[in-house]
Amino acid sequence: MFENATKQLRETVEAALPELNTVVGWRAGYDPLHMTPVFIKNAGDLSKLEWSPFCVQNLSGYLVKDPAVRAQDPSKKIGICVKGCDSRSLVALIQEKFIERNQIHVFGIPCRGTVDWRRVMKLGPLTGIQSARVEESRLVVEDANGGHTFALEDVLARKCLRCAHPNPVIHDVLIGEPVTPRVAVENSYGEVERMEEQSLEDRLGFWKKELDKCLRCYACRNACPLCVCQDRCIAETREPRWLTQRVGTSEKFLFHFIHALHLAGRCTECGECERACPMEIPVTLIKEKLNKITLELMSYEAGMDPEAVPPLLTFNPGETGL
Amino acid sequence: MSGSNSVPVTEQGMKIVGFLCNWCSYGGADTAGVCRFKQPTDLRIIRIPCTGRMDPLFAAKSLIYGADGVLVSGCHPRDCHYAVGNLYARRRLEVLKHFLPFMGIDPRRFHYTWVSASEGQLWQRVVTDFSEQIHQLGPNPGIGAESEIFEKLGN
Ligand code: SF4
Ligand code: SF4
Repeated sequence: MFENATKQLRETVEAALPELNTVVGWRAGYDPLHMTPVFIKNAGDLSKLEWSPFCVQNLSGYLVKDPAVRAQDPSKKIGICVKGCDSRSLVALIQEKFIERNQIHVFGIPCRGTVDWRRVMKLGPLTGIQSARVEESRLVVEDANGGHTFALEDVLARKCLRCAHPNPVIHDVLIGEPVTPRVAVENSYGEVERMEEQSLEDRLGFWKKELDKCLRCYACRNACPLCVCQDRCIAETREPRWLTQRVGTSEKFLFHFIHALHLAGRCTECGECERACPMEIPVTLIKEKLNKITLELMSYEAGMDPEAVPPLLTFNPGETGL
Repeated sequence: MSGSNSVPVTEQGMKIVGFLCNWCSYGGADTAGVCRFKQPTDLRIIRIPCTGRMDPLFAAKSLIYGADGVLVSGCHPRDCHYAVGNLYARRRLEVLKHFLPFMGIDPRRFHYTWVSASEGQLWQRVVTDFSEQIHQLGPNPGIGAESEIFEKLGN
């Protein structure tokens, strides 16, 4: 099922490659459940390029964070492979002028959802994985002990189960046919709503327990394509000094307020922060709440329109009720 | 007025942090003082150049670290000294207000409003009402400085 898409992706990239510096895509990782980013510079590397539901990484961060990707021949574009969610990060970066639309060549891939390997491992401890493939609504994995089948719903990433934009919102070429979204945007905040039904005390208890696990390794921030301050991040600067080195829960709360509030009205819910977290803290949920707020108050959805201005970077004098 | 920024905390005193814009609300508080309007003494004022300078993280940090309340006040919309600072602030602070309870922080501990330099009486009412509300809520339990994990490691 995905062999065809991979073939089509390779052919499309091959045709465009002479005009491009590099194409950022995915290749096989250390086992069949994992993919890893790849940088294709010449046709000889094309056989590495793959597309499958294991291509979890949002590659758009490389365009702003990777000096090697940025420091290339400016007369040529950079190619990038994106799923629906990833394409919204590109839109957000274009809005804020971190990249220019005509600097990039976007290979858009309509996506039916990506597999969260941690959910797979929780369902069946697998050893020596030999193959993994998605067939219709099942994931089939073969390991040292034989074959295992999982319902796709049980192993898809949380963000994919609530995805309203599986088709890339910008692209130069589309690989495959557009797919039907699982949910409409208005219905994609179920988990936030379940949190809202709890009492204030229970919510505080929930976040204390979750955020107390935080190591402040900043993997969530580093993985976020829109956390663009790099070594000027106020979580680490000494001047101004927002955070100390203390291992307190309040420090952890403040760090997550920093990440979340700096992403308010900008976050596209790509889920990279949550995926990158070694402590499995549902950190994207915090940003989902902020997005629900900006959707309700300002009818704004991040990363959809390259011409739009994120709502907290502008104002509306006529706004009432605020 | 000078004395009212450094009132000693009484036994039942609450710690309320007030972020007031230089041009309107700080002046309004001054007017209230000059007119000798009676005011509660729980508020510690931080003067900011404009509510546009008001990083929502100032309020978040105060509440996370145990301030009992945070009050932000600036020029009325359309009266900003810098024309539009408070219009940016309005959006940011409104978003914060909706966000705090999601993280378990009582949104009643946070209030933002607009008071001009001539509105001493309005200022008196704003401070009095907000202080009363905070007294009703009682001390902010905060997040708790120590991490459970840290304590476990220590033992
Ligand atoms: S905060 Fe998380 S979900 Fe939002 S854009 Fe950044 S990595 Fe993606
Ligand atoms: S990745 Fe997880 S543990 Fe690391 S700083 Fe982010 S939330 Fe904390």
